[in-house]
Amino acid sequence: MSGPARVIRWYRLAVRLYPRRFREEYGPDLVLLVADQLRDEPSWRVLARSATDLALTLPTRHLEAHMDRSPTPLVPAMFGALALSSVVVGITVGHPLVLVACVAVGLVAGWLGLLSAHRARPLTQPRPKTAQWWKLLAAGAGLLTALIATTTATGELPEGAWFIAMVAGLTAVVLLGAGVVLGIAHLASRPSRGATA
Amino acid sequence: MRRSRPLPAASLHVVLALLDGELHGYALMRRVEELSDGAVHMGPGTLYGTLNRLVDTGLIEETTDRSPRRDNERRRYYELTPNGRLMAIDELTRLQGLVRRAAGHLPGGAPA
Repeated sequence: MSGPARVIRWYRLAVRLYPRRFREEYGPDLVLLVADQLRDEPSWRVLARSATDLALTLPTRHLEAHMDRSPTPLVPAMFGALALSSVVVGITVGHPLVLVACVAVGLVAGWLGLLSAHRARPLTQPRPKTAQWWKLLAAGAGLLTALIATTTATGELPEGAWFIAMVAGLTAVVLLGAGVVLGIAHLASRPSRGATA
Repeated sequence: MRRSRPLPAASLHVVLALLDGELHGYALMRRVEELSDGAVHMGPGTLYGTLNRLVDTGLIEETTDRSPRRDNERRRYYELTPNGRLMAIDELTRLQGLVRRAAGHLPGGAPA
């Protein structure tokens, strides 16, 4: 088998590494392009360029293919698990500094979880703002739980932490209140079953 | 519809190469090399990944079946859409302005 034929054979096999959709759409064109190059250039140069190009473009094509896929709840679930486990670890260890760090990690992971869940949701009609009531309620409840867990684990809070605890408690109450008000408004604005039928 | 963001380098090279008319993959690759004075060599994966994106965004379209071809092997031809042509001209204008302004800051003026 000659040099060019070997390169074409190798490249035809290598094209299988691309995502299926890209391969099915452009596979024959990719191989044809390499065959065209082999008519004008030495085999070693075409081989080196094709191998470099393959190494550089494979991750991109796979990333693009992944982003085109239907969203799955895996990423939000992972962030949710991280948030929960960090809070559990913080409470279990019991040291104030570890607890604060774990709660911080938990809050960030929780926020990322909500964000990824929001992005992963199927596209539907725009929802009214009042439909967000449960998020405020959940955030308020989460903050209040974290606050109670922190004060329970540490016993007596150091002097400087009181101010932070008060602000956190006030924020939790405001979030809970806003959640309840928006929830009532949302339920009141929903059309009744009889009206929609 | 015109895009305000500059095109990525590979897309820019492809749309500029297609300004003269339709080309198939290998001719496009050669045209990009020629336009860049041999500085840019697009590999197969880069070229077809870029073509795929440009087709998706409506800047180029496939014209393979539009007219009879002389090629024995069936090749896919691409050309700029009206939007793609506007985009290519916009990019050229933007780059010309960039070069002009940058050259004004060079010590001793613009290079010959």
